[in-house]
Amino acid sequence: MKIALIGNQNSGKTTLFNNLTGMNQKIGNWPGVTIEKKVGRIKGTNHELIDLPGIYSLTPYTIEEKISRDFIIENKIDLIINIVDATSLERSLYLTTELLDLDVQVVIAVNMIDRLNAKGISINTEKLKERLGVEVCEISALKGKGIDNLIKKISMISIQKNNQIKIFPRDVEETIYNIQNRIESIKHKRYMALEVLKNSNLNSIKILQEKIQKNYNMDIEETLITLRYEYISRIKNECITKIKNTKNISRTLDKIFLNKFLAIPIFAVIMFFIYYLSVGLVGTYTADLVKNSIDGFRIFIQELLEAINLSNWIISLICDGIITGVGSVLSFLPQLCMLFLSISLLEATGYMSRIAFLLDKLFRKLGLSGKALIPFIVGSGCSVPGIMASRIMEDQYDRKVVTILTPLVPCSAKLPIIALFTGYFFKENYGIIATSFYLLAIVIIIISSLLMKKLLHKKYTSTYISELPEYKIPTIKYVLREVWDRVKEFIKKAGTLIFVSSIVVWFLLSFSIDLKYGGEIENSILAFIGKKIAWIFYPIIGVNSWEVSVSALQGLIAKEQVVSSMEIISGLSKDLKVPFEIFGNGSPFEFFNKASSYAFVVFNLFSAPCFAAISTMKKELGNIKQTIFAILFQTSIAWCLSLILYNLLKVIL
Amino acid sequence: MNICELRLNQNARIVSIEMFNKKIRNHFLEMGLVKNTPIKIIKIAPMGDPISIEIRGYELCLRKEDAKKIKVEVYR
Repeated sequence: MKIALIGNQNSGKTTLFNNLTGMNQKIGNWPGVTIEKKVGRIKGTNHELIDLPGIYSLTPYTIEEKISRDFIIENKIDLIINIVDATSLERSLYLTTELLDLDVQVVIAVNMIDRLNAKGISINTEKLKERLGVEVCEISALKGKGIDNLIKKISMISIQKNNQIKIFPRDVEETIYNIQNRIESIKHKRYMALEVLKNSNLNSIKILQEKIQKNYNMDIEETLITLRYEYISRIKNECITKIKNTKNISRTLDKIFLNKFLAIPIFAVIMFFIYYLSVGLVGTYTADLVKNSIDGFRIFIQELLEAINLSNWIISLICDGIITGVGSVLSFLPQLCMLFLSISLLEATGYMSRIAFLLDKLFRKLGLSGKALIPFIVGSGCSVPGIMASRIMEDQYDRKVVTILTPLVPCSAKLPIIALFTGYFFKENYGIIATSFYLLAIVIIIISSLLMKKLLHKKYTSTYISELPEYKIPTIKYVLREVWDRVKEFIKKAGTLIFVSSIVVWFLLSFSIDLKYGGEIENSILAFIGKKIAWIFYPIIGVNSWEVSVSALQGLIAKEQVVSSMEIISGLSKDLKVPFEIFGNGSPFEFFNKASSYAFVVFNLFSAPCFAAISTMKKELGNIKQTIFAILFQTSIAWCLSLILYNLLKVIL
Repeated sequence: MNICELRLNQNARIVSIEMFNKKIRNHFLEMGLVKNTPIKIIKIAPMGDPISIEIRGYELCLRKEDAKKIKVEVYR
């Protein structure tokens, strides 16, 4: 059987999906969009389960709703499992009643009954079953209760559709029946009839529409939605009984977390804590640890390969190319895990929705949602998890813009560049100059998002309509599960591209233009390319220098490579002085002055990010075209800005 | 009067949604904001906007510019 899992956002759908399928699932994307698609096999059965995006109705208001509707209508689905949140029964049942209009058998899984009970409210699921005419199961997705029972019920169910319930008043039902008989399609006749009634411009339908509109004194769409809710209210009154009044814990917590004066400080502390954990503590500590172990491993392999007398270039390919490349991916992992853990916790507890609520007013001016701050903060540690954090935003446009803008935040790998140049040329004002780069980044992000708003935002009417879920205590098992899923995905998708590009750069650096291995860096293919593109850097540093372009190019592997490349190249130059200085006499970089060094740092900070970030960007944007647009956008901003700054500073300094 | 004119926790009932954009209006309706539904403001964001309303047993956040288009009447 082919089964679709469907339900509102925050209804516990993903948790139920994990419960039903165990480790048996594949994560992919819905065609053409970057919305996650999960498919799995229900434990102990042969049933295929498809996790549809969280939606509120079958009217395609969002892309998620369009995907879900199209999938159900166009594919042969044998059964729908509809997860219903007992704490917002009416809103959940709106979707349910729409699903019942389709010619697909539905099983309802009522979730979060324990939370409802804790509020002093009880629910009669037998009554619900009777009124809706379909199988109803009580489950607790979080605690894993009722899952086996649900699986048993699914297997026993007949695929034959039950009689559809008549939820509208008699006159409307008659109209639907009337249209239904004129529809030629065989499947989903009732749903199709309702669609025709809502949208058709045919005269014969218009007459029916007007009759209903006159009777209910609302337009046809409002009438149908209102009548549906009237029916649901009646069901709710029959199934739900208030036993006692209890205190709403979420409201009490929000008196603190959304307090007029405390909210922003608390938010700042939480953000600092996440940043400190993932970037500061875990980041610096483990990054070195991973780096050292990889270095150790590389040396070990190198000695091993030398011992068995392999040719030099193979050893170099394996050690300098492959191991270093894969190592660069691995060194992100501890940070990535910590960060995903923090994000999962924020989401699972319900605080994430509060962040959007808190900051919406501020970010609305930039055409973004309040959650945009999180990727930016994370991005100051590393762009890769920063870009991946853009997924916390529901809106496709927001996700796209934030994905493009996050690499503009100076990540920790860019710090060595800032330190090298600022430390040498601006010794006296080190603090001020170093800070100025960050301020510049904020200004650029604000300007860019306003620019993006103009460029991409034309047809878009932005609204913020979001459910504020109650606070929940997360289950460690599922939080860890989610972290693992995300990390796995990163290694699989981003890892491959980084791997390939590291080999390519290794090749360009190790071979000369006539494909001889092991010459001077000056004769390598990369240097050849560097010479060809040196003119790009001329306007921003005032000199034609292949050494500079090669170093900037190597920033594509990792931004800290810019510094190490400059060290290597100046070290190789002929008149080596002791103590050796990158900007000293005789070095190919001795031409740098205050103006050009500032401009060059700016270029490196804001131009195309490293391959790891680029491949993550491609993954989030979903296609090459937009990725190229993003890279060009970033690089042209960087180039224009450094051009302006170079010429300005040349005059001032 | 519209939602924004309500005091915090003041009970009211929806009279109509006067929104030009049918798509957004229908979305509001589908989220349960239909005629005669009880509604009240329960939270206001620290910066004064957006607001959070209680409707049909759950909380919905919306911006004031949208909330202004939802007409309500107070009841006791």
